Amino acid sequence: MSLSRREFFKGGAAIGGGIAIGLTLTGCGGQTAYPGASASDLRPNAFLQVRPDGVVVFQLPRAEMGQGVYTGLTTVVAEELSMPASAIVVEHAYYHPAFRDAEFGMMMTGGSVSLRNNYTILRQSAANLGEWMRQAAATQLNTDAAGLRVENAAVVSPDGSAIGFAALVETAKTLTAPEDAELKNPADFQQIGKESVRLDALAKVTGTATFGIDCNVPGAVTAVMRRCPHLGGRVKRFDDNAAKAIKGVQDIFEINGAVAVVASGYWPARKAADALEIEWDKGALAGLDEAKLLAHHRELLLEDGRNVAEIGDEKSAIGERVEVEYRVPMLSHSPMEPPNALVSISSDKVEVWTGSQVPDTVIGVVAAAIDCPREQVVVHNQMLGGGFGRRLVPDYIVEAAKIAKQVGKPVKLVWSREDDVQHDYYRPAATALLSATVDNGRVTSFGGKTVVPSIMGRLMPIFAEAAMPEWLPPAIPRSLAGLARHFDTSMTEGLGDTNYRFPYIKIDTVRDETPIPVGFWRSVGHSQNAFFTESFMDELAHKVGQDPVAFRLQHIPEESNRYRVLKMVAEKAQWGQAPAGQFQGVAAHDAFHSSVAQVVNASVKGNAIQVHKVVCAVHCGLAVNPDVVRSQMESAIIFGLTAALKSKITLDDGRVVQSNFHDYTMLKLAETPEIEVHIVPSSEPPTGVGEPGLPPLAPALANAVFAATGQRLRELPLKLA
Amino acid sequence: MSVIEFTLNGRQQRLDVESDTPLLWVIREQLSLTGTKFGCGKGLCGACTVHLDGQPIRSCSFPVSLVAGKRIRTIEGVAPSAEQLHPVQQVWLEGSVPQCGYCQSGQIMAAVALLERNNAPSDADIDSAMSNICRCGTYPRIRTAVKRAGELMQGQGVVGLFDPRAGANGGPDSEQKESQA
Repeated sequence: MSLSRREFFKGGAAIGGGIAIGLTLTGCGGQTAYPGASASDLRPNAFLQVRPDGVVVFQLPRAEMGQGVYTGLTTVVAEELSMPASAIVVEHAYYHPAFRDAEFGMMMTGGSVSLRNNYTILRQSAANLGEWMRQAAATQLNTDAAGLRVENAAVVSPDGSAIGFAALVETAKTLTAPEDAELKNPADFQQIGKESVRLDALAKVTGTATFGIDCNVPGAVTAVMRRCPHLGGRVKRFDDNAAKAIKGVQDIFEINGAVAVVASGYWPARKAADALEIEWDKGALAGLDEAKLLAHHRELLLEDGRNVAEIGDEKSAIGERVEVEYRVPMLSHSPMEPPNALVSISSDKVEVWTGSQVPDTVIGVVAAAIDCPREQVVVHNQMLGGGFGRRLVPDYIVEAAKIAKQVGKPVKLVWSREDDVQHDYYRPAATALLSATVDNGRVTSFGGKTVVPSIMGRLMPIFAEAAMPEWLPPAIPRSLAGLARHFDTSMTEGLGDTNYRFPYIKIDTVRDETPIPVGFWRSVGHSQNAFFTESFMDELAHKVGQDPVAFRLQHIPEESNRYRVLKMVAEKAQWGQAPAGQFQGVAAHDAFHSSVAQVVNASVKGNAIQVHKVVCAVHCGLAVNPDVVRSQMESAIIFGLTAALKSKITLDDGRVVQSNFHDYTMLKLAETPEIEVHIVPSSEPPTGVGEPGLPPLAPALANAVFAATGQRLRELPLKLA
Repeated sequence: MSVIEFTLNGRQQRLDVESDTPLLWVIREQLSLTGTKFGCGKGLCGACTVHLDGQPIRSCSFPVSLVAGKRIRTIEGVAPSAEQLHPVQQVWLEGSVPQCGYCQSGQIMAAVALLERNNAPSDADIDSAMSNICRCGTYPRIRTAVKRAGELMQGQGVVGLFDPRAGANGGPDSEQKESQA
């Protein structure tokens, strides 16, 4: 679908006493009514509205899960309206087709696209609103709009007198909404590119920010579940005699292959769930353990697989052949807020309070799960207590809906941490064979082959079922899943599409058709493929006797952003001059249209790896809020450090061995290194920052460990022998 | 069921509860204060941190029976008034510490407990007192903020050793005044 800017901005509309500026995707259901809207509500059907009292309301189209969209996107709007971002009322947008991401076709928060794909749309939307108010003021003053300017939710005349938006709303409604008002000259930006405090920080330091788990409705009961610990298994039979005796327990029943306990609160529900005696049918993964998984991956590595990239002439691959195996384990997302959802079903409305990265998918899957029309489902999205990709899968919301339908009351389903760690859609385990040929101190070819499950193949049925028209037979989503598996770029992203130059490059992938639930984990395929690529590049640098920074620079185009960040990080980290006893490692990676390079300073005592400092350079286009960019780099570095040093989900008899933070451990403050972030100045449009800081961390650390010990660690988490 | 009395943010509470119920669920579900969060249920992550007579405890694994006659303070009871933030909240805000924010009530409660005892903590003091998990990785900002808040509290003369009998412990907490409610 390709849209001109004009087409995008056709949807300006006046409703309910205020003015709503909307964007309509032509031919994509722009007429869809806003859920729950009424003319007197003043609830908008798109990004911006002016209430009759003159207050500007912004419908935040993306979920705030820590990555800063609440601040960043609001700042973009505020800039064009020349008003403080803090004066804008921000609401979590309800689903509307206009809020779908133009690239993904869904109302989704993921892929680090929120700012990249909304920057121009929001600037234009705000500029149009400002222009509309300016025209209204010109009409009221019977003057030319040219001398008027919009500022602080008012239109200001050359003599300094101002008319507030409240006094202009009625006049504006008599005028046609402008469609392509002129955008502010970036040279005049007062807020974009400047430091400012996060807009959601006040609520979050006072405990008043509302997450899904904080929502409640009168008469709601609490549910917890016991799911089969063996992935893919289900309940065979259960004894609830002891559980039923617990005070507060209202109902216990089998649902979704699991057992649900409904009670007056979390504690009685949990106690009763623990008191259940359940016999499980272990399902198809019974017997699967780590040794079998690895053996299976090694078998698959022998297959040719599918070729993803082949650049140059195979005949150039001359000299000594180097071939090594790399591996990463499964990982759980484990956001701090465990999955939860509150669902209330009435005769004509199904309301869902939760935190989700995909509100439109939620509508589709809930409608399918309880057999109601999609138009009846309303998703009240909340602040997300962490996402990292976990909340792209609405499994927990489907469970809550099914239980609510069964008990006939509003139900709040709350997962325990154990549920979360043992029933995630995991970052898949992956194995890779990296190869090269080296001739006369020159690398003549670079090869990579990954063995990994297809995430899209696993999740497409869920998304497709939700996105397709309801009358389509379920076979269609299933066949789409087959298609998705075939083109799943996550299997080699960051390996097959780097800008490294060698005489011959060949990248292949073999699909692991496992039924293990896998999902999108912060930076997705890059999270493992950067580890493979950037560790192996280090091996090659040492093989040919070159400095790891110089070797990389030699093989990256000079005009690329990756070249820039690598140069910058080497300078800022004083590459080659580590403090006594510390050793440096470097990595540079492109992901989500951004480039990030990191230098890690580490030391080793016995078998313990200590990370002292991480210096990071990022190119992410224009940094709308430089402090949010820095915080996302810090965040990704720490998330990446946890994965590089600690995390591993392992299977035994098809069940996840780990269960809570005692055996799925997280980096803590005491272990956190000093982090220094440098942003490459840029006036290019903004690109992603939520994920790209993660991929370079593990290889940069592994490379530092090699520098310290001479041991090349090719498996995560890093463990010295 | 048994009747348990304690003060919550300065207000006297009298509740009929199952005595093994963790304090967290009493606070969240019965007393409807949702600033204190559920993270792990095993006292491992600290998202549920509250103060018991000024000491940080992990309320998800602390039976309510053990708080009888004690003073409990949650994130809702930290600010001196509706118009004013606690110095720790203030620096947390200015430093844009929170990301997703879910763990931050617990982090702030841990920091307040530390600083009301010791407003010039060393890095080692911070390392051992601030053991709560943050999945977003706000740790570097937390360390900076704790130090800044300590400086702020020194300047305001807020603090010294916590005195359980003094209630307001010389700090901005107004528990003593309200506890007759």
